[in-house]
Amino acid sequence: MITVHLEPEGGTLTFPRITTVLQLLHKTGRKPGRAIVIRGTELLTPDRRLAAGDTIILRDVGSRG
Amino acid sequence: MKCTRCRELAAVALPSHHSAFCPECFLLFCRRMVERAIHDHAMCTPEDRILVALSGGKDSLSLAWLLRELGYQVTGLHIDLGIPGSSAVARRITENFCARHGIALHVLEMEAMGLGMAQVRQRVKRPICSVCGQTKRYFFNRFALENGFSVLATGHNLDDETSRLLANVLRWDADFLADQGPVLSAQEGFVRKIKPLYRLTEFETANLSFLLGIETASAPCPYSAKATFPVYKHLLADLEDRQPGRKLQFYEGFLKHGRKHFASHSTPDLTPCVRCGSPTSTELCGVCRLKAMMTSEADLPEARDNVLDSGQQA
Repeated sequence: MITVHLEPEGGTLTFPRITTVLQLLHKTGRKPGRAIVIRGTELLTPDRRLAAGDTIILRDVGSRG
Repeated sequence: MKCTRCRELAAVALPSHHSAFCPECFLLFCRRMVERAIHDHAMCTPEDRILVALSGGKDSLSLAWLLRELGYQVTGLHIDLGIPGSSAVARRITENFCARHGIALHVLEMEAMGLGMAQVRQRVKRPICSVCGQTKRYFFNRFALENGFSVLATGHNLDDETSRLLANVLRWDADFLADQGPVLSAQEGFVRKIKPLYRLTEFETANLSFLLGIETASAPCPYSAKATFPVYKHLLADLEDRQPGRKLQFYEGFLKHGRKHFASHSTPDLTPCVRCGSPTSTELCGVCRLKAMMTSEADLPEARDNVLDSGQQA
């Protein structure tokens, strides 16, 4: 299970079968370049693999005033 | 994915540059993009006293960090807009950032001047984003002039600039197109304004601020829901997905080939505001009219309707 925290809107999602960052972006309706993907202290590129138990922050980059 | 430069594991993929970078090389990339912007447009020198407009967001804080890293004399100015739910957070983050990095900071409180945006919003008919933007530009410019700063730097990024350019093109707004660029020269009553981040996208500044450990304000302005620029940003982002690099080409192409065709469009004749002396195309500048409207002296329909003017630079 992968746990995803959404920023800045808040909210948490869980995904049982996602294996890459790109899949995660697609599953949450985002595209590379629109959000940064954070695992702990590292940034993940779209090709990086995710593992069961990962906790991810998905941070949209568009400024909202 | 490997870093294009050093072959270590990449942290940031940038299709628009056919590149990917590890954290260290990405910081170098950002530095070079800003150095190139400053060099290509002769934005500033190490002798300049630079006032950086700090909102508490990722762009302006990253800009202050980068300029200081590059050896420039940097002082911050934060304008506390008095917006419930966002201004206090933005101010705390800005103050913490400046304390942590040893950057001198000044804060102007709009509420103390009778111009808190929560109160202003109750009185004006125009979109509050326009009034807020004009008020910020006025005070940033005025503070810089009155305190001996030679340059005002803002954190406008490539997405800000291209969305504004697209909006101006779609309206064929020749006056605004004549004025658009990463540098606005100093004129009577106006300090020189620079946008050193104009070659970096929002995505890049978001990555940068994370890698620098910069806490940024995530609470959006509660009044920004009707802002129009996000519409243009989304259109350009869709284009960028299909054609990586198109945004930078669009903007650099305009600077190189397009802007000169609008140069003959002169700005309106400006005269000093009779009250504060700032340049304006009317007798009273927009902010003095706003101040008047917020007090009882000019609570008239015509004052409410005409609280903005075009006499102040973007």
